[in-house]
Amino acid sequence: MIVKELIEARWKAIICGLLALVLVEASAATYDLLRPVLSNTSSLQMPQFLQQQVQQLTSSYSLYVWGNWFAKNGTEILAVLAAVLGAGLIAGEVSKGTIFLLLGKPISRERALLTKYALSALILFAVTVLSSVALIITAAIAGYPQQLGGIMISTVLLWLGVLFVLGLALLFSVLFKDVLRPLLCTLVITILAIIPGFFPNWGAWSLLGYWSSQAAYLGQSFPTKELIICLVAAALPLFLALILFRRQAY
Amino acid sequence: MSEEKGISMATAKKESLPAHGQAAAIEIHGLVVKYGSKRAVDGLTFRVPAGTIFGFLGPNGSGKTTTIKTLLGFRPPDGGSAQVLGYDVVSQSLQVRARVGYVSETNSLYDFLTIPQLCAFCRSLSPEWNQQVVDRYIGLFGLPPREKVGRLSKGMKSQLALSLALGGNPDLLILDEPTAGLDPLARHEFLNTLISEVAAEGKTIFFSSHMLSEVEVVADWVAIIRKGKLVLCDELDHLKQTQKVVKLTYAELLPVSEIEMLRSLPEVKSLAQEGRSVRLVAQGNVDTLTQTIQTRPYELRDIETVDLNLEDLFLEYMKERTDDR
Repeated sequence: MIVKELIEARWKAIICGLLALVLVEASAATYDLLRPVLSNTSSLQMPQFLQQQVQQLTSSYSLYVWGNWFAKNGTEILAVLAAVLGAGLIAGEVSKGTIFLLLGKPISRERALLTKYALSALILFAVTVLSSVALIITAAIAGYPQQLGGIMISTVLLWLGVLFVLGLALLFSVLFKDVLRPLLCTLVITILAIIPGFFPNWGAWSLLGYWSSQAAYLGQSFPTKELIICLVAAALPLFLALILFRRQAY
Repeated sequence: MSEEKGISMATAKKESLPAHGQAAAIEIHGLVVKYGSKRAVDGLTFRVPAGTIFGFLGPNGSGKTTTIKTLLGFRPPDGGSAQVLGYDVVSQSLQVRARVGYVSETNSLYDFLTIPQLCAFCRSLSPEWNQQVVDRYIGLFGLPPREKVGRLSKGMKSQLALSLALGGNPDLLILDEPTAGLDPLARHEFLNTLISEVAAEGKTIFFSSHMLSEVEVVADWVAIIRKGKLVLCDELDHLKQTQKVVKLTYAELLPVSEIEMLRSLPEVKSLAQEGRSVRLVAQGNVDTLTQTIQTRPYELRDIETVDLNLEDLFLEYMKERTDDR
Protein backbone atom coordinates (compact mmCIF):
# COMPACT_ATOMS: atom_id res chain seq x y z
CA MET A 1 0.00 0.00 0.00
CA ILE A 2 2.90 2.32 0.79
CA VAL A 3 4.45 1.77 -2.66
CA LYS A 4 1.08 2.37 -4.33
CA GLU A 5 0.60 5.64 -2.44
CA LEU A 6 4.13 6.77 -3.31
CA ILE A 7 3.66 5.94 -6.99
CA GLU A 8 0.32 7.74 -7.03
CA ALA A 9 1.68 10.90 -5.39
CA ARG A 10 5.06 10.99 -7.10
CA TRP A 11 4.35 13.54 -9.83
CA LYS A 12 2.51 15.91 -7.52
CA ALA A 13 5.40 15.68 -5.06
CA ILE A 14 8.10 16.10 -7.72
CA ILE A 15 6.44 19.11 -9.38
CA CYS A 16 5.67 20.87 -6.10
CA GLY A 17 9.10 19.91 -4.73
CA LEU A 18 10.87 21.47 -7.73
CA LEU A 19 8.68 24.56 -7.49
CA ALA A 20 9.49 24.82 -3.79
CA LEU A 21 13.21 24.58 -4.56
CA VAL A 22 12.96 27.34 -7.15
CA LEU A 23 11.06 29.55 -4.69
CA VAL A 24 13.42 28.89 -1.80
CA GLU A 25 16.37 29.67 -4.06
CA ALA A 26 14.66 32.85 -5.17
CA SER A 27 14.02 33.78 -1.55
CA ALA A 28 17.59 33.13 -0.48
CA ALA A 29 19.47 34.51 -3.48
CA THR A 30 17.66 37.77 -4.26
CA TYR A 31 18.34 39.72 -1.08
CA ASP A 32 21.26 41.76 -2.40
CA LEU A 33 19.40 42.39 -5.63
CA LEU A 34 16.07 43.53 -4.17
CA ARG A 35 17.12 45.17 -0.92
CA PRO A 36 17.88 48.60 -2.48
CA VAL A 37 14.49 48.68 -4.19
CA LEU A 38 12.41 47.37 -1.28
CA SER A 39 14.11 49.36 1.45
CA ASN A 40 13.07 52.60 -0.28
CA THR A 41 9.38 52.11 0.56
CA SER A 42 8.50 55.77 0.28
CA SER A 43 8.63 55.36 -3.50
CA LEU A 44 6.17 52.47 -3.36
CA GLN A 45 2.40 53.07 -3.29
CA MET A 46 1.26 50.99 -0.28
CA PRO A 47 -0.43 51.44 3.13
CA GLN A 48 1.78 52.62 5.95
CA PHE A 49 1.62 49.38 7.97
CA LEU A 50 2.78 47.43 4.90
CA GLN A 51 5.62 49.89 4.35
CA GLN A 52 6.72 49.25 7.93
CA GLN A 53 6.57 45.50 7.38
CA VAL A 54 8.62 45.69 4.18
CA GLN A 55 11.21 47.90 5.83
CA GLN A 56 11.48 45.51 8.74
CA LEU A 57 11.78 42.43 6.53
CA THR A 58 14.49 43.95 4.36
CA SER A 59 16.48 45.19 7.33
CA SER A 60 18.45 41.93 7.55
CA TYR A 61 19.07 38.85 5.43
CA SER A 62 17.58 36.56 8.08
CA LEU A 63 14.34 38.52 8.24
CA TYR A 64 14.20 38.74 4.45
CA VAL A 65 14.60 35.00 4.05
CA TRP A 66 12.18 34.23 6.86
CA GLY A 67 9.58 36.65 5.43
CA ASN A 68 9.96 35.34 1.90
CA TRP A 69 10.12 31.64 2.60
CA PHE A 70 8.65 30.68 5.97
CA ALA A 71 6.01 33.44 6.11
CA LYS A 72 5.02 33.46 2.45
CA ASN A 73 6.30 31.34 -0.44
CA GLY A 74 7.04 28.21 1.57
CA THR A 75 3.70 28.30 3.31
CA GLU A 76 1.87 28.87 0.06
CA ILE A 77 3.53 26.22 -2.07
CA LEU A 78 3.49 23.60 0.70
CA ALA A 79 -0.13 24.41 1.54
CA VAL A 80 -1.08 23.91 -2.11
CA LEU A 81 0.84 20.62 -2.20
CA ALA A 82 -0.87 19.51 1.03
CA ALA A 83 -4.29 20.42 -0.36
CA VAL A 84 -3.62 18.63 -3.65
CA LEU A 85 -2.32 15.51 -1.89
CA GLY A 86 -5.06 15.42 0.74
CA ALA A 87 -8.00 16.17 -1.53
CA GLY A 88 -7.35 13.06 -3.60
CA LEU A 89 -6.67 10.64 -0.75
CA ILE A 90 -10.22 9.32 -0.39
CA ALA A 91 -12.24 11.30 -2.93
CA GLY A 92 -9.83 10.19 -5.66
CA GLU A 93 -10.44 6.55 -4.77
CA VAL A 94 -14.21 7.11 -4.66
CA SER A 95 -14.37 8.96 -7.97
CA LYS A 96 -12.36 6.22 -9.74
CA GLY A 97 -14.22 3.40 -8.01
CA THR A 98 -10.99 1.98 -6.57
CA ILE A 99 -12.31 2.55 -3.04
CA PHE A 100 -14.07 -0.80 -3.38
CA LEU A 101 -10.79 -2.56 -4.17
CA LEU A 102 -9.24 -0.94 -1.10
CA LEU A 103 -12.14 -1.43 1.32
CA GLY A 104 -12.75 -4.95 0.03
CA LYS A 105 -9.42 -5.96 1.57
CA PRO A 106 -9.20 -7.09 5.18
CA ILE A 107 -7.84 -3.86 6.63
CA SER A 108 -9.58 -1.45 8.95
CA ARG A 109 -10.66 1.89 7.60
CA GLU A 110 -8.52 3.57 10.24
CA ARG A 111 -5.41 1.80 8.98
CA ALA A 112 -6.21 2.66 5.37
CA LEU A 113 -6.79 6.32 6.17
CA LEU A 114 -3.81 6.72 8.49
CA THR A 115 -1.45 5.01 6.05
CA LYS A 116 -2.53 7.37 3.30
CA TYR A 117 -2.24 10.38 5.62
CA ALA A 118 1.17 9.31 6.96
CA LEU A 119 2.57 8.89 3.45
CA SER A 120 1.38 12.34 2.42
CA ALA A 121 2.72 13.80 5.66
CA LEU A 122 6.09 12.17 4.92
CA ILE A 123 6.14 13.60 1.40
CA LEU A 124 5.42 17.05 2.82
CA PHE A 125 8.12 16.56 5.41
CA ALA A 126 10.63 15.58 2.72
CA VAL A 127 9.80 18.62 0.59
CA THR A 128 9.93 20.93 3.64
CA VAL A 129 13.28 19.57 4.82
CA LEU A 130 14.72 19.60 1.31
CA SER A 131 13.72 23.25 0.93
CA SER A 132 15.29 24.12 4.26
CA VAL A 133 18.53 22.36 3.31
CA ALA A 134 18.56 24.30 0.04
CA LEU A 135 17.98 27.49 2.03
CA ILE A 136 20.89 26.77 4.38
CA ILE A 137 23.25 26.03 1.49
CA THR A 138 22.20 29.04 -0.58
CA ALA A 139 22.39 31.39 2.39
CA ALA A 140 25.88 30.13 3.18
CA ILE A 141 26.99 30.58 -0.43
CA ALA A 142 25.51 34.11 -0.45
CA GLY A 143 27.62 34.91 2.59
CA TYR A 144 24.79 35.02 5.14
CA PRO A 145 25.00 31.76 7.12
CA GLN A 146 21.80 31.14 9.07
CA GLN A 147 21.21 29.73 12.55
CA LEU A 148 20.62 26.01 12.16
CA GLY A 149 18.44 25.81 15.27
CA GLY A 150 16.13 28.55 14.02
CA ILE A 151 15.79 26.96 10.61
CA MET A 152 15.14 23.55 12.13
CA ILE A 153 12.39 24.69 14.46
CA SER A 154 10.86 26.85 11.71
CA THR A 155 10.91 23.85 9.39
CA VAL A 156 9.05 21.77 11.98
CA LEU A 157 6.50 24.56 12.50
CA LEU A 158 6.00 24.95 8.77
CA TRP A 159 5.51 21.21 8.39
CA LEU A 160 3.01 21.10 11.25
CA GLY A 161 1.24 24.05 9.66
CA VAL A 162 0.81 22.30 6.34
CA LEU A 163 -0.37 19.19 8.19
CA PHE A 164 -3.40 21.29 9.15
CA VAL A 165 -4.06 21.85 5.45
CA LEU A 166 -3.47 18.16 4.74
CA GLY A 167 -5.89 17.14 7.50
CA LEU A 168 -8.46 19.61 6.26
CA ALA A 169 -8.15 18.31 2.70
CA LEU A 170 -8.46 14.75 4.00
CA LEU A 171 -11.59 15.67 5.94
CA PHE A 172 -13.23 17.14 2.83
CA SER A 173 -11.94 14.22 0.80
CA VAL A 174 -13.95 11.90 3.05
CA LEU A 175 -17.02 14.12 2.76
CA PHE A 176 -17.07 14.61 -1.02
CA LYS A 177 -16.95 12.13 -3.86
CA ASP A 178 -14.92 14.19 -6.30
CA VAL A 179 -11.47 15.72 -5.95
CA LEU A 180 -12.25 19.30 -6.97
CA ARG A 181 -14.62 20.22 -4.14
CA PRO A 182 -12.29 19.05 -1.34
CA LEU A 183 -9.47 21.00 -2.98
CA LEU A 184 -11.48 24.20 -3.27
CA CYS A 185 -12.97 23.93 0.23
CA THR A 186 -9.51 23.33 1.71
CA LEU A 187 -7.96 26.29 -0.07
CA VAL A 188 -10.84 28.60 0.91
CA ILE A 189 -10.70 27.60 4.59
CA THR A 190 -6.90 27.83 4.64
CA ILE A 191 -7.05 31.34 3.20
CA LEU A 192 -9.68 32.26 5.81
CA ALA A 193 -7.41 30.90 8.54
CA ILE A 194 -4.51 33.01 7.25
CA ILE A 195 -6.25 36.28 6.33
CA PRO A 196 -6.31 37.85 9.84
CA GLY A 197 -2.50 37.91 9.77
CA PHE A 198 -2.57 40.56 7.05
CA PHE A 199 -4.31 43.05 9.33
CA PRO A 200 -2.58 44.92 12.15
CA ASN A 201 -3.47 43.64 15.67
CA TRP A 202 -5.22 40.54 14.27
CA GLY A 203 -2.13 38.37 14.06
CA ALA A 204 -3.12 36.19 17.01
CA TRP A 205 -6.18 34.98 15.06
CA SER A 206 -4.16 33.90 12.07
CA LEU A 207 -2.70 30.40 11.87
CA LEU A 208 0.07 31.80 9.69
CA GLY A 209 1.50 33.62 12.71
CA TYR A 210 2.00 30.26 14.42
CA TRP A 211 3.27 28.34 11.36
CA SER A 212 5.96 30.94 10.74
CA SER A 213 7.20 32.33 14.04
CA GLN A 214 9.74 35.09 13.45
CA ALA A 215 11.06 34.86 17.00
CA ALA A 216 11.67 31.13 16.62
CA TYR A 217 13.55 31.61 13.35
CA LEU A 218 15.77 34.27 14.84
CA GLY A 219 16.44 32.09 17.88
CA GLN A 220 14.89 34.61 20.27
CA SER A 221 12.50 32.16 21.96
CA PHE A 222 11.40 28.57 21.83
CA PRO A 223 7.94 28.47 20.18
CA THR A 224 6.13 26.26 22.70
CA LYS A 225 2.77 27.97 22.21
CA GLU A 226 3.16 27.89 18.44
CA LEU A 227 4.05 24.20 18.47
CA ILE A 228 1.02 23.33 20.61
CA ILE A 229 -1.36 25.36 18.47
CA CYS A 230 0.07 23.88 15.26
CA LEU A 231 -0.16 20.35 16.68
CA VAL A 232 -3.77 20.82 17.78
CA ALA A 233 -4.68 22.46 14.48
CA ALA A 234 -3.07 19.56 12.59
CA ALA A 235 -4.66 16.86 14.74
CA LEU A 236 -8.22 18.19 14.82
CA PRO A 237 -9.18 17.73 11.13
CA LEU A 238 -7.39 14.36 11.05
CA PHE A 239 -9.38 13.21 14.06
CA LEU A 240 -12.65 14.36 12.47
CA ALA A 241 -11.71 12.69 9.19
CA LEU A 242 -11.10 9.41 11.03
CA ILE A 243 -14.51 9.52 12.71
CA LEU A 244 -16.27 10.40 9.47
CA PHE A 245 -14.45 7.80 7.39
CA ARG A 246 -15.31 5.09 9.90
CA ARG A 247 -19.01 5.90 9.46
CA GLN A 248 -19.07 6.76 5.79
CA ALA A 249 -21.17 4.51 3.56
CA TYR A 250 -19.96 3.71 0.04
CA MET B 1 -21.93 -18.11 -26.67
CA SER B 2 -22.34 -21.25 -28.78
CA GLU B 3 -24.64 -24.02 -27.66
CA GLU B 4 -21.74 -26.48 -27.62
CA LYS B 5 -19.75 -24.25 -25.29
CA GLY B 6 -22.79 -23.70 -23.15
CA ILE B 7 -23.29 -27.45 -22.80
CA SER B 8 -19.64 -28.04 -21.99
CA MET B 9 -19.80 -25.42 -19.26
CA ALA B 10 -23.01 -26.80 -17.86
CA THR B 11 -21.48 -30.29 -17.77
CA ALA B 12 -18.40 -28.97 -16.06
CA LYS B 13 -20.62 -27.25 -13.54
CA LYS B 14 -22.48 -30.42 -12.67
CA GLU B 15 -19.25 -32.37 -12.32
CA SER B 16 -17.48 -29.76 -10.28
CA LEU B 17 -20.13 -28.84 -7.78
CA PRO B 18 -20.12 -30.54 -4.46
CA ALA B 19 -23.38 -31.67 -2.97
CA HIS B 20 -25.13 -28.77 -1.31
CA GLY B 21 -23.88 -28.58 2.21
CA GLN B 22 -26.15 -27.62 5.04
CA ALA B 23 -23.90 -24.75 6.06
CA ALA B 24 -24.74 -21.34 4.69
CA ALA B 25 -22.08 -19.15 3.15
CA ILE B 26 -24.38 -16.14 3.43
CA GLU B 27 -27.42 -15.69 5.65
CA ILE B 28 -29.52 -12.57 5.43
CA HIS B 29 -32.45 -11.86 7.76
CA GLY B 30 -34.82 -8.94 7.23
CA LEU B 31 -32.06 -6.75 5.82
CA VAL B 32 -32.99 -3.11 5.34
CA VAL B 33 -30.69 -0.56 3.72
CA LYS B 34 -31.81 2.98 3.07
CA TYR B 35 -30.54 5.83 0.93
CA GLY B 36 -32.05 8.77 2.76
CA SER B 37 -35.71 7.86 3.19
CA LYS B 38 -35.72 5.44 0.22
CA ARG B 39 -35.44 1.75 1.04
CA ALA B 40 -32.94 0.29 -1.44
CA VAL B 41 -33.12 -3.08 0.32
CA ASP B 42 -36.38 -3.77 2.05
CA GLY B 43 -36.61 -6.70 4.45
CA LEU B 44 -34.45 -9.09 2.42
CA THR B 45 -34.21 -12.65 3.76
CA PHE B 46 -32.42 -15.56 2.09
CA ARG B 47 -29.49 -17.91 2.50
CA VAL B 48 -26.75 -18.97 0.13
CA PRO B 49 -25.77 -22.61 0.63
CA ALA B 50 -22.01 -23.19 0.89
CA GLY B 51 -20.35 -24.63 -2.20
CA THR B 52 -22.94 -23.37 -4.66
CA ILE B 53 -22.87 -20.93 -7.53
CA PHE B 54 -25.58 -18.49 -6.58
CA GLY B 55 -26.99 -16.07 -9.16
CA PHE B 56 -28.39 -12.88 -7.65
CA LEU B 57 -30.77 -11.38 -10.17
CA GLY B 58 -32.80 -8.25 -10.46
CA PRO B 59 -33.41 -5.31 -12.76
CA ASN B 60 -31.24 -2.20 -12.56
CA GLY B 61 -31.73 -0.39 -9.26
CA SER B 62 -33.31 -3.40 -7.58
CA GLY B 63 -30.82 -3.39 -4.70
CA LYS B 64 -28.30 -6.05 -5.80
CA THR B 65 -25.20 -3.90 -5.45
CA THR B 66 -26.47 -2.34 -2.22
CA THR B 67 -26.95 -5.81 -0.76
CA ILE B 68 -23.40 -6.78 -1.75
CA LYS B 69 -21.96 -3.55 -0.36
CA THR B 70 -23.71 -4.26 2.94
CA LEU B 71 -22.37 -7.81 3.03
CA LEU B 72 -18.83 -6.45 2.66
CA GLY B 73 -19.27 -3.72 5.26
CA PHE B 74 -19.18 -0.80 2.81
CA ARG B 75 -22.61 0.30 4.00
CA PRO B 76 -24.12 -0.33 7.42
CA PRO B 77 -27.58 -1.93 7.39
CA ASP B 78 -30.49 0.13 8.69
CA GLY B 79 -32.26 -2.98 9.90
CA GLY B 80 -32.03 -6.75 10.01
CA SER B 81 -28.81 -8.73 10.06
CA ALA B 82 -26.46 -10.60 7.77
CA GLN B 83 -23.75 -13.19 8.31
CA VAL B 84 -21.09 -14.13 5.81
CA LEU B 85 -19.29 -17.42 6.49
CA GLY B 86 -20.70 -17.23 10.00
CA TYR B 87 -19.35 -13.72 10.69
CA ASP B 88 -21.57 -10.75 11.35
CA VAL B 89 -21.15 -8.21 8.54
CA VAL B 90 -21.19 -5.25 10.92
CA SER B 91 -19.18 -6.31 13.96
CA GLN B 92 -16.88 -8.80 12.17
CA SER B 93 -16.39 -7.09 8.85
CA LEU B 94 -12.62 -7.62 8.87
CA GLN B 95 -13.03 -11.38 9.29
CA VAL B 96 -15.60 -11.37 6.49
CA ARG B 97 -13.26 -9.57 4.10
CA ALA B 98 -10.34 -11.81 5.07
CA ARG B 99 -12.24 -14.80 3.70
CA VAL B 100 -14.10 -13.21 0.80
CA GLY B 101 -12.78 -12.38 -2.65
CA TYR B 102 -14.64 -9.46 -4.17
CA VAL B 103 -14.87 -8.13 -7.69
CA SER B 104 -16.77 -4.85 -7.82
CA GLU B 105 -19.34 -3.71 -10.32
CA THR B 106 -17.13 -0.90 -11.58
CA ASN B 107 -14.19 -3.30 -11.67
CA SER B 108 -11.84 -0.41 -11.06
CA LEU B 109 -8.19 -1.19 -10.52
CA TYR B 110 -5.31 1.23 -10.10
CA ASP B 111 -4.51 2.09 -13.72
CA PHE B 112 -1.13 3.63 -12.86
CA LEU B 113 0.24 0.39 -11.40
CA THR B 114 1.72 -2.52 -13.29
CA ILE B 115 0.32 -6.01 -12.68
CA PRO B 116 3.20 -6.97 -10.31
CA GLN B 117 2.76 -3.68 -8.41
CA LEU B 118 -0.98 -4.30 -8.09
CA CYS B 119 -0.25 -7.83 -6.86
CA ALA B 120 2.17 -6.40 -4.30
CA PHE B 121 -0.49 -3.92 -3.18
CA CYS B 122 -3.04 -6.71 -2.66
CA ARG B 123 -0.42 -8.93 -1.00
CA SER B 124 0.34 -6.18 1.54
CA LEU B 125 -3.31 -6.09 2.55
CA SER B 126 -4.19 -9.81 2.50
CA PRO B 127 -2.79 -12.05 5.26
CA GLU B 128 -3.25 -15.29 3.28
CA TRP B 129 -2.03 -14.08 -0.07
CA ASN B 130 -0.95 -16.78 -2.47
CA GLN B 131 0.99 -15.30 -5.38
CA GLN B 132 1.27 -18.68 -7.10
CA VAL B 133 -2.50 -18.85 -7.43
CA VAL B 134 -2.62 -15.35 -8.90
CA ASP B 135 0.22 -16.13 -11.31
CA ARG B 136 -1.59 -19.31 -12.37
CA TYR B 137 -4.79 -17.41 -13.20
CA ILE B 138 -2.87 -14.62 -14.91
CA GLY B 139 -1.23 -17.31 -17.04
CA LEU B 140 -4.54 -19.08 -17.60
CA PHE B 141 -6.15 -15.88 -18.88
CA GLY B 142 -3.05 -15.07 -20.93
CA LEU B 143 -2.61 -11.65 -19.36
CA PRO B 144 0.66 -9.82 -20.10
CA PRO B 145 2.41 -10.33 -16.75
CA ARG B 146 4.29 -7.02 -16.50
CA GLU B 147 1.84 -4.73 -18.27
CA LYS B 148 0.46 -1.53 -16.78
CA VAL B 149 -3.15 -2.04 -15.69
CA GLY B 150 -4.30 1.07 -17.56
CA ARG B 151 -3.22 -0.52 -20.86
CA LEU B 152 -5.35 -3.65 -20.40
CA SER B 153 -8.69 -4.10 -22.16
CA LYS B 154 -11.91 -4.20 -20.16
CA GLY B 155 -12.05 -7.99 -20.46
CA MET B 156 -8.45 -8.32 -19.29
CA LYS B 157 -9.17 -6.07 -16.31
CA SER B 158 -12.11 -8.29 -15.33
CA GLN B 159 -9.87 -11.32 -15.58
CA LEU B 160 -7.17 -9.60 -13.55
CA ALA B 161 -9.73 -8.55 -10.93
CA LEU B 162 -10.87 -12.17 -10.63
CA SER B 163 -7.26 -13.38 -10.38
CA LEU B 164 -6.59 -10.88 -7.59
CA ALA B 165 -9.81 -11.78 -5.81
CA LEU B 166 -8.63 -15.39 -5.75
CA GLY B 167 -5.17 -14.47 -4.45
CA GLY B 168 -6.39 -14.18 -0.87
CA ASN B 169 -7.50 -17.82 -0.94
CA PRO B 170 -11.16 -16.92 -0.27
CA ASP B 171 -13.88 -19.37 0.73
CA LEU B 172 -16.47 -17.16 -0.91
CA LEU B 173 -16.30 -15.11 -4.08
CA ILE B 174 -18.66 -12.17 -4.38
CA LEU B 175 -18.85 -10.85 -7.91
CA ASP B 176 -20.96 -7.82 -8.73
CA GLU B 177 -21.93 -7.86 -12.41
CA PRO B 178 -18.56 -9.43 -13.26
CA THR B 179 -19.11 -9.73 -16.99
CA ALA B 180 -20.87 -6.41 -17.63
CA GLY B 181 -19.44 -4.79 -20.72
CA LEU B 182 -17.47 -7.82 -21.85
CA ASP B 183 -17.72 -9.19 -25.38
CA PRO B 184 -19.16 -12.71 -25.75
CA LEU B 185 -15.72 -14.36 -26.03
CA ALA B 186 -14.32 -12.65 -22.94
CA ARG B 187 -17.54 -13.45 -21.09
CA HIS B 188 -17.27 -17.09 -22.05
CA GLU B 189 -13.64 -17.33 -20.93
CA PHE B 190 -14.48 -15.65 -17.66
CA LEU B 191 -17.46 -17.89 -16.88
CA ASN B 192 -15.69 -21.02 -18.03
CA THR B 193 -12.83 -20.32 -15.64
CA LEU B 194 -15.28 -19.55 -12.89
CA ILE B 195 -16.91 -22.96 -13.24
CA SER B 196 -14.04 -25.22 -14.21
CA GLU B 197 -11.42 -23.74 -11.91
CA VAL B 198 -13.00 -21.84 -9.05
CA ALA B 199 -16.19 -23.77 -8.35
CA ALA B 200 -14.23 -27.00 -8.78
CA GLU B 201 -12.25 -26.07 -5.68
CA GLY B 202 -15.48 -26.01 -3.69
CA LYS B 203 -15.60 -22.26 -3.25
CA THR B 204 -18.98 -20.59 -3.00
CA ILE B 205 -19.64 -18.08 -5.74
CA PHE B 206 -22.24 -15.38 -5.22
CA PHE B 207 -22.66 -13.20 -8.26
CA SER B 208 -25.11 -10.56 -9.30
CA SER B 209 -26.13 -10.17 -12.88
CA HIS B 210 -28.92 -9.17 -15.15
CA MET B 211 -27.62 -11.33 -17.99
CA LEU B 212 -30.04 -14.18 -17.56
CA SER B 213 -28.50 -16.46 -20.16
CA GLU B 214 -25.16 -16.52 -18.36
CA VAL B 215 -26.77 -17.07 -14.98
CA GLU B 216 -28.70 -19.99 -16.41
CA VAL B 217 -25.50 -21.61 -17.65
CA VAL B 218 -23.49 -20.99 -14.52
CA ALA B 219 -25.74 -20.84 -11.47
CA ASP B 220 -27.34 -23.68 -9.59
CA TRP B 221 -29.24 -21.43 -7.20
CA VAL B 222 -30.96 -18.16 -8.04
CA ALA B 223 -32.54 -15.35 -6.11
CA ILE B 224 -34.49 -12.58 -7.75
CA ILE B 225 -35.02 -9.22 -6.09
CA ARG B 226 -37.11 -6.32 -7.20
CA LYS B 227 -37.28 -2.93 -5.53
CA GLY B 228 -35.20 -4.31 -2.67
CA LYS B 229 -37.57 -7.16 -1.91
CA LEU B 230 -37.00 -10.86 -2.50
CA VAL B 231 -39.21 -12.23 -5.22
CA LEU B 232 -37.79 -15.72 -5.47
CA CYS B 233 -35.00 -17.86 -4.06
CA ASP B 234 -34.69 -21.45 -5.14
CA GLU B 235 -32.54 -24.09 -6.75
CA LEU B 236 -32.59 -23.55 -10.49
CA ASP B 237 -33.20 -27.22 -11.33
CA HIS B 238 -36.07 -27.33 -8.86
CA LEU B 239 -37.61 -24.26 -10.41
CA LYS B 240 -37.36 -25.78 -13.86
CA GLN B 241 -38.87 -29.04 -12.68
CA THR B 242 -41.81 -27.44 -10.96
CA GLN B 243 -42.62 -24.81 -13.54
CA LYS B 244 -43.33 -25.49 -17.21
CA VAL B 245 -44.63 -23.66 -20.21
CA VAL B 246 -47.64 -25.29 -21.90
CA LYS B 247 -48.21 -24.09 -25.45
CA LEU B 248 -51.70 -24.71 -26.81
CA THR B 249 -52.83 -24.22 -30.39
CA TYR B 250 -56.60 -24.41 -30.95
CA ALA B 251 -58.51 -24.94 -34.16
CA GLU B 252 -60.61 -21.87 -33.46
CA LEU B 253 -60.37 -18.73 -31.40
CA LEU B 254 -61.33 -19.51 -27.81
CA PRO B 255 -64.24 -17.64 -26.25
CA VAL B 256 -63.49 -15.34 -23.32
CA SER B 257 -65.29 -17.67 -20.90
CA GLU B 258 -62.92 -20.53 -21.79
CA ILE B 259 -59.87 -18.29 -21.39
CA GLU B 260 -61.10 -17.30 -17.96
CA MET B 261 -61.72 -20.98 -17.12
CA LEU B 262 -58.13 -21.85 -18.11
CA ARG B 263 -56.82 -18.96 -16.10
CA SER B 264 -58.71 -20.17 -13.04
CA LEU B 265 -57.13 -23.64 -13.09
CA PRO B 266 -54.99 -24.15 -9.93
CA GLU B 267 -51.87 -25.17 -11.89
CA VAL B 268 -51.94 -22.09 -14.12
CA LYS B 269 -49.71 -19.29 -12.90
CA SER B 270 -50.22 -17.04 -15.90
CA LEU B 271 -51.78 -17.08 -19.33
CA ALA B 272 -51.07 -15.23 -22.53
CA GLN B 273 -53.25 -15.45 -25.62
CA GLU B 274 -52.29 -14.62 -29.17
CA GLY B 275 -54.97 -15.48 -31.69
CA ARG B 276 -55.60 -19.21 -31.57
CA SER B 277 -52.50 -19.82 -29.50
CA VAL B 278 -52.49 -19.85 -25.73
CA ARG B 279 -49.35 -19.93 -23.61
CA LEU B 280 -49.64 -21.08 -20.03
CA VAL B 281 -47.03 -20.95 -17.32
CA ALA B 282 -47.86 -23.90 -15.11
CA GLN B 283 -46.75 -24.88 -11.66
CA GLY B 284 -47.29 -28.20 -9.94
CA ASN B 285 -48.76 -31.23 -11.69
CA VAL B 286 -48.53 -30.36 -15.36
CA ASP B 287 -49.84 -33.79 -16.49
CA THR B 288 -53.13 -33.20 -14.65
CA LEU B 289 -53.35 -29.79 -16.27
CA THR B 290 -52.86 -31.11 -19.80
CA GLN B 291 -55.40 -33.87 -19.18
CA THR B 292 -57.94 -31.31 -17.96
CA ILE B 293 -57.31 -29.14 -21.01
CA GLN B 294 -57.72 -32.09 -23.37
CA THR B 295 -61.14 -32.95 -21.89
CA ARG B 296 -62.49 -29.49 -22.72
CA PRO B 297 -64.90 -29.22 -25.69
CA TYR B 298 -62.53 -27.16 -27.86
CA GLU B 299 -60.49 -28.77 -30.60
CA LEU B 300 -56.77 -28.67 -29.91
CA ARG B 301 -54.40 -28.72 -32.88
CA ASP B 302 -51.28 -28.96 -30.77
CA ILE B 303 -50.21 -29.16 -27.16
CA GLU B 304 -46.58 -28.86 -26.16
CA THR B 305 -44.94 -28.76 -22.75
CA VAL B 306 -41.47 -27.17 -22.50
CA ASP B 307 -39.11 -26.23 -19.70
CA LEU B 308 -39.29 -22.72 -18.44
CA ASN B 309 -36.02 -20.95 -19.12
CA LEU B 310 -34.61 -18.43 -16.70
CA GLU B 311 -35.58 -15.51 -18.87
CA ASP B 312 -39.22 -16.69 -18.92
CA LEU B 313 -39.03 -17.24 -15.20
CA PHE B 314 -37.55 -13.84 -14.53
CA LEU B 315 -40.08 -12.06 -16.70
CA GLU B 316 -42.86 -14.09 -15.14
CA TYR B 317 -41.87 -13.05 -11.64
CA MET B 318 -41.36 -9.45 -12.65
CA LYS B 319 -44.79 -9.46 -14.32
CA GLU B 320 -46.35 -11.12 -11.32
CA ARG B 321 -45.05 -8.44 -9.04
CA THR B 322 -46.30 -5.74 -11.39
CA ASP B 323 -49.74 -7.38 -11.39
CA ASP B 324 -49.66 -7.55 -7.60
CA ARG B 325 -49.27 -3.85 -7.44
